[in-house]
Amino acid sequence: MTARAERIRASDQRPALWRRVLGSEHLAGWAFVTPAVVLIAVFFLIPIGWALLLSFQANNLLAPGHYIGLANYRALAKDPQFRSAIGHTIVYTVVFVPVSIIGALGLAVALDRRIRGISFYRLAVFVPLVTSTVATGIVFLWLLDPTFGVVNYLLHLVGLPQQKFLQDPNQAIYCIVAMTVWGWLGFDVIVFLAALQSIPQDLLEASEIDGAGKWATFRSVVFPLLGPATLFLVVWSTINALQLFDEIYVTTRGGPLGSTTVIVYYLYEQAFQFFNAGYGAAIAYVLFAAILVVTLLQLWIGRRRVYYVS
Amino acid sequence: MKRVCLLIIMSALLVAGCGGSSHSSSGGGSTSGSSAGGHVNITIWHGYTDQEATAIKALAKEFNATHSNVTVTPQFYGNSDYALQKVLAAIAGGKPPDISYLYGSWAANIATNPSTVELGPYIEKDPSWNWNDFWQAARNVGTVNGKIIGVPALIDNLALVWNKKLFAQAGIPAPTANWTWTDFENAAIKLTNPAKKQFGWAYVNDASEDTVWRYWAMLWQAGGSILTPDGKQAAFDSPAGLKAMTLLQTLAGHNSIYLDDGSDTYLGVFTSGHIGMLWTGPWDLSQITAGNQPYGVQILPADQNHQTISGPDNWVVFNNGAARVKAAIEFLKWFTSPAIDLKWAMMTGDLPIRASVMNQPGYQQFVKKYPGIGVWVQNLKNATQSRPVTTTYPKISTVVGQAVQSVLLGKAQPQQALSSAAQQVNGILSAPS
Amino acid sequence: MFLIPVAVIMLAPLVWMLILSLETSSEAQSFPPVVLPSGPHFHNYVTTWNSEPFGNFFLNSAIYSLATVVGNLLFCSLAAYAFARLRFFGRDVLFVVLLATLMVPFQVLLIPTFLIVKHLGLVDSVGGLIMPNLCSAFGIFMLRQFFRTLPIELEEAARIDGTSRLGILFKIVLPLSLPALATLGIIQFMWSWNDFLWPLIIIDTASHAPLQLGLATLQGAHRSHWNLVMAGTVMSQIPMLIVFLFAQRWFIRSIAFTGIKQ
Repeated sequence: MTARAERIRASDQRPALWRRVLGSEHLAGWAFVTPAVVLIAVFFLIPIGWALLLSFQANNLLAPGHYIGLANYRALAKDPQFRSAIGHTIVYTVVFVPVSIIGALGLAVALDRRIRGISFYRLAVFVPLVTSTVATGIVFLWLLDPTFGVVNYLLHLVGLPQQKFLQDPNQAIYCIVAMTVWGWLGFDVIVFLAALQSIPQDLLEASEIDGAGKWATFRSVVFPLLGPATLFLVVWSTINALQLFDEIYVTTRGGPLGSTTVIVYYLYEQAFQFFNAGYGAAIAYVLFAAILVVTLLQLWIGRRRVYYVS
Repeated sequence: MKRVCLLIIMSALLVAGCGGSSHSSSGGGSTSGSSAGGHVNITIWHGYTDQEATAIKALAKEFNATHSNVTVTPQFYGNSDYALQKVLAAIAGGKPPDISYLYGSWAANIATNPSTVELGPYIEKDPSWNWNDFWQAARNVGTVNGKIIGVPALIDNLALVWNKKLFAQAGIPAPTANWTWTDFENAAIKLTNPAKKQFGWAYVNDASEDTVWRYWAMLWQAGGSILTPDGKQAAFDSPAGLKAMTLLQTLAGHNSIYLDDGSDTYLGVFTSGHIGMLWTGPWDLSQITAGNQPYGVQILPADQNHQTISGPDNWVVFNNGAARVKAAIEFLKWFTSPAIDLKWAMMTGDLPIRASVMNQPGYQQFVKKYPGIGVWVQNLKNATQSRPVTTTYPKISTVVGQAVQSVLLGKAQPQQALSSAAQQVNGILSAPS
Repeated sequence: MFLIPVAVIMLAPLVWMLILSLETSSEAQSFPPVVLPSGPHFHNYVTTWNSEPFGNFFLNSAIYSLATVVGNLLFCSLAAYAFARLRFFGRDVLFVVLLATLMVPFQVLLIPTFLIVKHLGLVDSVGGLIMPNLCSAFGIFMLRQFFRTLPIELEEAARIDGTSRLGILFKIVLPLSLPALATLGIIQFMWSWNDFLWPLIIIDTASHAPLQLGLATLQGAHRSHWNLVMAGTVMSQIPMLIVFLFAQRWFIRSIAFTGIKQ
């Protein structure tokens, strides 16, 4: 043992109390998280508390509100439109999350190469992500117009029947899935890319030396090591999908016939079109509870199945 | 140690950057206030873009130059619904703007706010307002339960715009002021040509108020009304309402209607020569004129009458103290005076907000500058009915919007859609507020 | 190679926006759209730039975006490291509480957030834009996941050598996490650069507005010059693409692992 290690071991035997406290992991942990906690507490937790209070009120944000206890929540439980909104949100999430993550994984693997022009392809995948939602909405409305849109034109060329897309109550939500996958794929791809880049080169080389093919390497070495990133993307995509709003606002506005009214859009209608902000806050809290449960479930499954290198 | 110093420096820079670029903290109307010399600064929030934005800046400048004790600052607050969130935030923060442009459909709810200034007393004391000179429909929308809370900011109405070339090709004579629904229906069907992707008519079908208000015009033309006179029950589920809905169903069934999804693509389709007729207002005129299709403007066809619908908006004044309220009202009186309003109309193509503007010298130039606008001005006489100005109206609108949309998409029969909508509306009207 | 059709699908709308931005106003309004403009009207860009104080818009957005990137990288790294590697009282509950802040839609939060910023005296300022966005649970969550994939042996060795925890974070963990940091940087930059609703609520004066809010002045409720709107949109996207091209250089495979594994 080196002299330095000896000295350290010796001092470890009798650390001063103040040194023990200040060096303790508890204090260090709290010190590290304090800036973040303060910022998030002030700018998120306080507003979230305010919204909770609002959900117990009848309030149009204009006249002074008054407390009505749990009346908003009770009304929500009986609200058929809220139930429809939940249905639409679930359909959207259940399609969007797997499609976008599996698609992104495939793309990320394809982009994790050092071929010529790879920067261009990476950039291409990234471009939809930076496009503003308004511009994306306009472009998709044009593309999917039943009479003049390009997609129907292409369908016509290959002899398939014309579709109504965003004007068809049965198709609209899936068109929104397509639009949001297009817009968000880049995000999942760069997260996967960053994770792929962190896989130690020697592990991949070892697998090659052992004679494993590309697919076998992927399945047994790469994919397990992508566990933390995959878990992150699944949780994050779900949280986002359940709060879908912007893309609906710039295209279908909840239609046609309410088929794309998702929970947050319903909230927005209640709060800012019907001036029922208390009811909107209650919707937000029910949604919050649901997202929390789903996320905890995902994290719990992740804890048992995700492999962290250390 | 070095790292900790670096952290501290970076944090300090961040905070300094934040603090350094902050300005006065008084929220909406941040440059407002009154100084000891009696000079008052007020802000006016608007959603104007393009020519209208240029116009309001120019007129504010003119006002400031001629009124030395008041300075008006126009501020852009986004457009449509986002604006409401901003206004609500400012109100919640206790510092609303002095004047704000607010949609007519929000009037009933805005009136419930304690800092909304009731303008009646000021108008009564000052006959130079010439209040009844404002168009009836505009005055209606600014009056909630008998209280005046808005000065008319915008008036418009729906008229018929038709494509001369397509009419000539189809051999249909030009629409006249005596056109009936039957004439209109026949023309729309004749102008429909799927092979050329040509439609007879266009309708905004996003189930929003834009979908609903066209239907109301038809309802009124057929002699119907929206609610019973006491405002407690739906009255649109009537023979008149059914006739209007059936017309929509018939035309949709012939594929005569280009169904717009709310993004106003109908305008581009019209200017590229694919639509025969539009029911639209002066806001589309500049683009129609630039579109190179020969067009004509006519009043709407009649069933029992030629009624049209108007969508007025308000300037609302908020109470930031007596001095600023007084200054705000002074500005609005100036801004809506006949001479200034004509200037506004000349710069923007908006309709005059007062009847007496038509007597101003220079009015004929206005009519010449915007070909067809004269019809809309005359059509204001046909805008005799208004939508109910109540806090429940937005919900009513949503219900009826979905009913109209379902008929246009062929998903419901007219009577069924109407009955269901009426039932829902009655439920809304009878619910405790 | 299937990358080519994918690239086409991803880029096609941007190409279309470019085409629109070079058309005349009535061509851009046309529907069905005009695909071959009469002549590239590059002056649309000049017109758009001159129509509003775009220099100010770009500057405000740049400050806003850079400040939030620095803030997030700094504060989220600190917190994520604690959540990933340190054991402290209440750690897991705190993590879930922070994560929970991502689960409430912004529509209900925007008014109370406005009230808080107003109390801090930051309304109508770039500081007011920045403060609520200096740290987000998103960054903490993402970095925590990445930090936990790093082999702990390096950090343990450094600890034995007497390095402080802060030193481990800055000397060992962060250098190995460049791809993750670059990702967070890009994403946060993009969010701030594209932010519209919060700036709308907090900013009154045009000269304090960031880019997306400034662009909104081109888009009326009924009158939009789509060619100018698209010119503005294209101009606003270019800096983000530059940031991406710059940051994706950090997406290089780390070589620090060799020799550590037993």
